Amino acid sequence: MKQRALGFYAVLVYAFLHVPLLVLAVFSFNSSKFTVWKGFSLDWYKAAFHDAGLVEAAVNSLIIATVASLLATIAGTLCAYGLWKRSAPILSNSLYLSLVTPEIVTGISLLALFQWMFRFLKIQLGMHTVILAHIAFTLAYVVIVVMARLRTFDPALEEAAMDLGATEWQAFRQVTLPSILPGVLAAGLLAFTVSIDDYVITSLVAGVDSETLPMVIFQMARRGVSPVVNAISTLIVIALGGLILLSERIQR
Amino acid sequence: MNRRTFLMSAAAGTLTACSSRNARRLNVMNWGDYISPNTISNFEREFQVRVRYATYENNEELFGKIMSGNSGWDVVFPTHNRIDPLRDMNLIAPLDHARLTNVQNLFARFKNPVWDRNLDWSIPYMWTTSGIGYNRVKYSPAPTSWRDLWRPETKGKMTMLDDIDDVFGAALAKLGLDYNSANADDLRKAQRELIAQKPLVRAYISTEARDQMVAGDVLICETFATTAQLAIDGNPDLAYVLPKEPYAAYCDCAVILNESKRRELAHEFLNFILRPDVSAEIAQTIRTATPNEKAFVLLPKSTQESQTLYPDAATLARAEWPLTLPPAIVRLRDRLWTEAKAA
Amino acid sequence: MKRLRAIFLAPARTINFVLFLAPMAIVLAYSLLSRGVYGGVERPWTFESYTRLIDPLYGGILLRSFWISVLSTGVCLVLGFPMALFIARSGARRNLYLNLVMLPFWTSFLVRTYAWMFLLRDTGLINTVLQSLGIIHEPLPLLYNDGAVILGLVYGYLPFMILPLYTTLERLDKSLLEASADLGATPFVTLTRIIIPLSAPGIRAGSILVFITCLGAYLTPDLLGGSKTVMIGNVIQNQFTSARDWPFGAAASLALMALVMVMLLVVLRRDKEQML
Repeated sequence: MKQRALGFYAVLVYAFLHVPLLVLAVFSFNSSKFTVWKGFSLDWYKAAFHDAGLVEAAVNSLIIATVASLLATIAGTLCAYGLWKRSAPILSNSLYLSLVTPEIVTGISLLALFQWMFRFLKIQLGMHTVILAHIAFTLAYVVIVVMARLRTFDPALEEAAMDLGATEWQAFRQVTLPSILPGVLAAGLLAFTVSIDDYVITSLVAGVDSETLPMVIFQMARRGVSPVVNAISTLIVIALGGLILLSERIQR
Repeated sequence: MNRRTFLMSAAAGTLTACSSRNARRLNVMNWGDYISPNTISNFEREFQVRVRYATYENNEELFGKIMSGNSGWDVVFPTHNRIDPLRDMNLIAPLDHARLTNVQNLFARFKNPVWDRNLDWSIPYMWTTSGIGYNRVKYSPAPTSWRDLWRPETKGKMTMLDDIDDVFGAALAKLGLDYNSANADDLRKAQRELIAQKPLVRAYISTEARDQMVAGDVLICETFATTAQLAIDGNPDLAYVLPKEPYAAYCDCAVILNESKRRELAHEFLNFILRPDVSAEIAQTIRTATPNEKAFVLLPKSTQESQTLYPDAATLARAEWPLTLPPAIVRLRDRLWTEAKAA
Repeated sequence: MKRLRAIFLAPARTINFVLFLAPMAIVLAYSLLSRGVYGGVERPWTFESYTRLIDPLYGGILLRSFWISVLSTGVCLVLGFPMALFIARSGARRNLYLNLVMLPFWTSFLVRTYAWMFLLRDTGLINTVLQSLGIIHEPLPLLYNDGAVILGLVYGYLPFMILPLYTTLERLDKSLLEASADLGATPFVTLTRIIIPLSAPGIRAGSILVFITCLGAYLTPDLLGGSKTVMIGNVIQNQFTSARDWPFGAAASLALMALVMVMLLVVLRRDKEQML
């Protein structure tokens, strides 16, 4: 398969993925509230910046997604490695199950658990409960992605390292881990993405002071197209897109 | 927006946030897009408090959050037919009318409504109806009855509300039956009507109908007065009419949660939103009807005379205020609705 | 040897036990209780929720959901595979291209879905463009049908397919492909005999992730299907919201989970490799 032909195809797929974003961007500059073009305006961007609650929600989301995906990636990678060495059916099946569970059931069950626990501990819902919930539901994603990568790794390499005198831990850290690192990073990326966009579970276990960006956006957008939300989304895309390009430039 | 303004507002925001950590707090949860941006900031300024304001999209979401009795919220706004359940579940606190001097501003009929005779537990906040929105230019003749939503000409251009009680209500009223019927046979007849209607229905949507009506995708629909009014604001070809059969009216009410440790402040907030100028501003911003008489007179003439938001007495007499249904009927309705949708 | 493995598994085991198995025990309890008058659960204990599930209505909805999920997974696989291959082969630019795939998914799912609704509407962008170009005269019904739902599902879950595929394809040894070409294999044969089998773990992982997630979807059928399509996710969602019948929702979820687990175990037992 020629890379050029694939490249052409990739452009089409990128178009498919990004055209809705373009739509959002265009309407974020629309002076009318509705999806009929009336004129150019920056009003919605001003409104977005003036909304302190929005900024706070964005910060909360970033914190939650970063902490949760980091912890889930670490736990998940170690878990995938352990399962790869020798299977543990109960754990694997229960990880599968966590994927299959509908979000609302996960949310309600975690809420029930937290409320029951908190009756004794006298704490309320807050950022900590959201982070715990996010770790819980992203774990399986991490394990699956890292596992897929591990399946392409030759165990003989590890054995060779140990024959040469390395301990198990050293073999893992210096031979296996670097080789599966792209898989680990991809898993972390997936966990981060799933976490930052989660609404159902988060809204159930969030406390009074832990609003996240999806919650705020959902609230604003549930009534229909909201140009402020379009402005926010466009800002997110520009900010993160810029970050991506920047990190690429740095790595060169 | 230049950089200086941005930095200044960011700095101001941070300073306010820091200082307000020491100020008093009030946690309010309301429907989305259901308050004016100034209301909260005015209240914060006048009473020197910081208000945490969040929103929800339906009563069930509200229930889910406050059911534990340990949610952290102080004031919430359930729809009128949820007040009895909340009281039964011991989730709301009785109101102290000595602190609610502005209650007298309400219209007489909202001072002793059927869902809370003496306003012991709630105060009416905003109300609306569910009727028929349509495009006067592209769709004729003008609808007058729920039957008009079953006409073959509407195919592909008509939407119904995505709400069991509203669709069943329309079907029941079309058949001349009780809008709130708890009779299983009546409900089955209504279900048959809904299944017959399904090929004509473009979609079951609630608030998304607004944009679709403005753009012209939808020419006639079952919708709320508020949604219709917002759509009319965006496209003057649109109109809203209440059918000649009974239709539903809903009132969202403010209540104070039993778990709240800030009852005094909560009462201040309730009293604040009962002020004529505050209520009028909210009503104008969110385009819905206020139950506050003194606020009503502050509204522009065109709004006061709008039949969309403030139907005349004769029309209003046909309004049904849905009350809580027994669980067995809720289960039956859900089952019939699922069957109808899967048909 | 065993101790290290036990340590490695420990964090995941703890998380899974406390934050998944314990809540699931609660869900099981819920499914065996009766509905509270206004939502929630209360005694008496009963099997009623399970017996109510045995009903052609729910069987039909389940089949429909399976069918839509299978279609969506298939489309994701076909669309995602060449994309993952492209990214895996792009050398130094891999991370950039991967991030560009993920970028749309860092904006809100709801907002992206609304953007699609705008594109697909009768008065939306696609129809307007096609009509102004004279290709069609009446707007195409692109929204509020099963096709729109599948489009929404594919759009929403494509990364779940691309990422696992990418992780396996990235490992693909270029020299294998060169050897295959040297031996006279056409690109098609190289694809079917070498690339696809070697990326099987990724294909399995991606397909399972997408299929399972599609099965539980409720927002997409609601928004893009106009609530006219009932999927099993909608039924379950309903029970915890407007129907206020938590026990039934819990029972339906557990039944669905059990069904999918059985399916997965059967499918994976046929291959000697387990996925997890």
